[in-house]
Amino acid sequence: MVDSVSRVACVWVEAFAAAAVERTEPGLRETPLAVVSGTAPARRVTDANAAAREAGVRPVMGEAEAVTRCPALVRRVAAEETVSAARRALLDACYGLSPRLEDAAPGLVFVDIVGLERLLGADAQIAERLGRASRTVGLPARVGVAATRTAARVAARLAGRTAVIPPGDEAAALAPVEVRTLDWPPEVAAALARWGIATLGDLAALPRTGLAARLGAAGLTAHDLACGRDTTPFRPWTPPPFWEEAQALDWEIDTLPALEAVVERVLGRLTARLAAAYLVADGLQLRLALLSGAHHARALALACPMDETRPMLTVLMHDLAARPPQGAVVGVAVQAHAVPRRAMPGTLGRPSAPAVRDLATILSRLVALVGADNVSAAAVGDSHHPDAWTAAPLQADADDGVAADSNVEHALAFRRLRPARPVTVETDATGRPLAVRGALSDVARVVRCAGPWRTSGEWWDTARWSREEWDVALDDTSVIRLLHDPLSATWLLDGAYD
Amino acid sequence: MFSLGDMGSGSWLQRGKITEIVGPLGSGRTSLLVRLLREVTRGGGAAALVDADATFDPVTAARAGVALEHVLWVRCAGRRDVAVAALDLLARCPGFALVALDAGETSARLTLAQAFRLRQAARRADVALVLVGRDRVAGAGAALAVRTRREALAWAGPRRRPTRLVGMGTALHVMRNQGASETAVEHQWWTA
Repeated sequence: MVDSVSRVACVWVEAFAAAAVERTEPGLRETPLAVVSGTAPARRVTDANAAAREAGVRPVMGEAEAVTRCPALVRRVAAEETVSAARRALLDACYGLSPRLEDAAPGLVFVDIVGLERLLGADAQIAERLGRASRTVGLPARVGVAATRTAARVAARLAGRTAVIPPGDEAAALAPVEVRTLDWPPEVAAALARWGIATLGDLAALPRTGLAARLGAAGLTAHDLACGRDTTPFRPWTPPPFWEEAQALDWEIDTLPALEAVVERVLGRLTARLAAAYLVADGLQLRLALLSGAHHARALALACPMDETRPMLTVLMHDLAARPPQGAVVGVAVQAHAVPRRAMPGTLGRPSAPAVRDLATILSRLVALVGADNVSAAAVGDSHHPDAWTAAPLQADADDGVAADSNVEHALAFRRLRPARPVTVETDATGRPLAVRGALSDVARVVRCAGPWRTSGEWWDTARWSREEWDVALDDTSVIRLLHDPLSATWLLDGAYD
Repeated sequence: MFSLGDMGSGSWLQRGKITEIVGPLGSGRTSLLVRLLREVTRGGGAAALVDADATFDPVTAARAGVALEHVLWVRCAGRRDVAVAALDLLARCPGFALVALDAGETSARLTLAQAFRLRQAARRADVALVLVGRDRVAGAGAALAVRTRREALAWAGPRRRPTRLVGMGTALHVMRNQGASETAVEHQWWTA
């Protein structure tokens, strides 16, 4: 039964595999294009774009026959990464407008648009916005709006760009639709032709029990479609925390400049998706598929959340220059850890923060100077280890500008050496330091020392640690902290109080 | 007049000008820098720290009340020229309330032309520049220069065999205060 308050938009991309290839190679949009699979010479066409279909190329056709029909046909081998990235891109684009989606099939998304009229206007405007969002991520979608998913799907199929079936008019809108314009299972299509059923209205008028007796479950499904009825529940899609964009390559790349061009295109598509969903990235994961079958994977924390291609590309390419892949690259995938974009920097009465564009430019130049690993904010880890910190994105425009809990207003700072430096320490009979060689001066006498102060942690884990600390004032005016390992009798300079 | 009490009200740091904190290791200069970072970040401002030797300790800074997520930490692995170049970049980025250079133990003295160019950049971007090191870095380019000197240490535990350092006293001498004829000495106690 049709729910009178239900409104669903169907976003559908025709010939999705071909559209996914066009998304990665926009220059092919006006060219006859076929996606092929299998091994030569037995390759078959699995999908074709509109220009190729006009020239007579059809799915399941052999590659040789397709080329004979359309000599200008461009062929691309079907790549799972390209299709799955495009599928995610379509979902992301729709997710920017409504949080309730159903991922029905590659290139087919149902969007629950109930309540959106207050934000976006009438159904036609919502359909237009969905179509525009899809085109933003490089996928030309048709959008149909109706009370049921089935009716919306038919509307999308018949639409030029957008089509809206008013509430309650589903049966009337579907009745004149010719059955041959839709895809049917072969046995259903043959039966409908044999019975002389020309329109969905004719099909809807047939007795349901009779259809079930003659065609089984396929007949009932066909009848539901003709009536515009949904028989399955809406299965909401939940976006994973990472957003991925990938591209398989038909050729191997073994130089960084050539790889940079591909990574830039992949990042461009990823940032377009993030922008469509009003998100920014605070971390990237790069995964390169190598010709040898191995993978080159890198995870990078961005110094500040951003959605611009250029600074992200700079960070990735500097990292690749420092740690190049060990072999030719045949596939590129970039994942972004997405976080919500802030509506405006700072709040009323707070200091202004650096503009995101300025900050992104500065960060890319800093990365070029010191490397991507050396530019970040810091976050203290969940540990009692004295040097437990991790790199974290800068929250320059965070509105919660209150400092961390602290009961030490005037705290003594510590300058830490990473890693701790081995030093030679003379001790008395009780093991207390008397002189230190190799700290800040060649030899320094100990003026006063305190210790040993023993700490340990994570003894329940593989990252267990324990240390024996000595605070030492030297006659060269420095106050240092020494680490002592009684078992190996070694001394390390941990840092200095300042 | 220079006063540590003004630090909390924000008038101690002057945006668009250069402030220098100099002193030997163990004199409390880094503690003073951390205190400045705390004051800036707890008010919601963003700060950047160019750390020439990468010796900044986030754990003690967090204990001192610095909001670490508001501090961009640039680690230069001991390369002075890179640290100065990074400082030059950040000084031109409007929006940071404070940009600091921790020059570490070796001298990073700027030429007069470099110092004045840095001051111009800070003025245009309205950024407070703080330079911390063993010796003066910006010379006459700095509006305020403070020298730190250790006065006392405090220890915990038995008198003859203490177990922990618990505090340090620092005297702050104003060496240069542009626009003011008087000099001042402040005393500060840092708790470990």
